[in-house]
Amino acid sequence: MIFVFLIAGLLFGYFLRKAGKRPSMETPMSVALLAMIFFLGVKTGEVHVNGLWLLGVSAVFAVLTIAGSLFLAEVVG
Amino acid sequence: MFLYLVLASLVAGILVGHLFTPDFGNAYEIMLYALIFLIGVDLGLSFSTGELRKVGRKALLLPFLTLTGSILGGLLAALVLGIEMRWGLAIGAGCGWYSLTGPLITQYSAVYGAVGFLGNLLREILTITLYPLAIRKLNPEKAIVIGGATTMDTTLPIMARFGGKEVALVAFVHGFILTAIVPFLLPLILTLFDY
Repeated sequence: MIFVFLIAGLLFGYFLRKAGKRPSMETPMSVALLAMIFFLGVKTGEVHVNGLWLLGVSAVFAVLTIAGSLFLAEVVG
Repeated sequence: MFLYLVLASLVAGILVGHLFTPDFGNAYEIMLYALIFLIGVDLGLSFSTGELRKVGRKALLLPFLTLTGSILGGLLAALVLGIEMRWGLAIGAGCGWYSLTGPLITQYSAVYGAVGFLGNLLREILTITLYPLAIRKLNPEKAIVIGGATTMDTTLPIMARFGGKEVALVAFVHGFILTAIVPFLLPLILTLFDY
């Protein structure tokens, strides 16, 4: 589904460029981004966590998996 | 300034979701698809095929570093927390894809399925909040690795907004490769280490 919208956007942008029009995407992208993050927050808030243990363990996994990826990208990439 | 708006949106959403549990239907997916379309338009307005080829080469190495680093991070977390290594491997291999990781691990353990879901969801939230800050110190292209598989969809708008168009393209290719690998690797890990 993601590909359909991305390719449709790419084609639309390409045809706009060929037509000599270059509208700024910054404002619509910012508005849509803020709305999407709000709805992501709503979904997260609806998750009922069973205890601090689950939250704590999940946070350790989140931080260390990010750190591992960043470390390798910085050292090898 | 925009970062504060992003954080305010996230906090407001969490509060609304937690306090009122409203039914917004598939508003999240609609906004996501709208954003992906707008990102496509932005790319289509400015990129040539030559630039696409150049960015593609640069983006090929990063997904493998992301995956390896994420699995090593998961293993380290399992060691630190005194959890069986197989859960660490599986949660790390999820690379932020919480909607896949949680249900797959739940087939073997409900508790670690919940950890797999929440840990990877937190990774996505941390990416949204940390990426704009991380690129002040780190290379914006390398910093996309924090998003894991989510860089082709949910965190792509953040990368595009704060990193620029070229970073958005690298992020998309990065997320695309991981999205193709993770659904095969995660069940393989769970099957191999099912004892």
